[in-house]
Amino acid sequence: MFRLGFSVSGSAAIVFVGIFLAFSTAYTASTNGFERVNDAQSAVDDEALERQNTALNITNATYDGGNGTLMIDVDNEGATELSVEAVDLLVDNTYRDNVTARRVDGDAATDLWLPGERLHIEVSLSDRPTRVKVVSGPGVADVEVL
Amino acid sequence: MASVSASHLILFIASMVIAAGVAGTFTQGISRLSQGIDDQSLEVSEEVRTNIEVISDAGSPVYNNSTNTVSLLVKNTGTTDIPADSQFIEILIDGQYRTNITVTVVDGTEWRPNNVVRLDIGGADLSSGDHRAKIIVNGDEEVFAFRV
Repeated sequence: MFRLGFSVSGSAAIVFVGIFLAFSTAYTASTNGFERVNDAQSAVDDEALERQNTALNITNATYDGGNGTLMIDVDNEGATELSVEAVDLLVDNTYRDNVTARRVDGDAATDLWLPGERLHIEVSLSDRPTRVKVVSGPGVADVEVL
Repeated sequence: MASVSASHLILFIASMVIAAGVAGTFTQGISRLSQGIDDQSLEVSEEVRTNIEVISDAGSPVYNNSTNTVSLLVKNTGTTDIPADSQFIEILIDGQYRTNITVTVVDGTEWRPNNVVRLDIGGADLSSGDHRAKIIVNGDEEVFAFRV
């Protein structure tokens, strides 16, 4: 009734199905993995390009002792659009987020700081500072000594 | 004839059991490997996406003599969130591993891309001269040199 041929072909079929299932799992996992790493790599490349294209220059930093305000003008001299929200201000190495005014070419509502535009920042300070550092989103910074 | 048939049936069942065992072991092994690849790729992509920048002004003092604390401002310039917890941030000052670290996000609640954290490294006790701090986050290393 049972021939030995059935045993061979039946077990071979089971092993083949097992191998097929295993390789399909491995293929999916490795493709997803490579895709994930490639996406990360391209995001980092984009960031690096953005950083290379970023340049900024503090054109003016003045402290008004009368009303205790530090006024800073920074020019976007690069070729990339920056986010105003991502700009950080350090006064004498202290992080300042108590900014009283922040506008790009007179526009206080925009978050875009485009190439060639000037960002104006005002911050309240009780004492005259000596060093001001402005850091853009990609990490490119400029320092001004008052 | 019946005895031949019975022995064939036994051999058939045995071969099926062995084949199922082989296939099962193989599938299990590959499945474990796939899980490993999946976890590893997630980790590698997080490492690749992590980028930090020390934005502290090196020209201003970063070391507080009275409290023996080094304060560094570090910006997340990558494309992934980093937990603002000292256990994810390794700091070496002049090659010495530091554990007394306080992490504070200065412009938000989480250390997201573009957010800045302040790292206060206590018990530094630095003499006057040149020093360097090395910060390692998720495989990304940054060196900051300063003078006391």
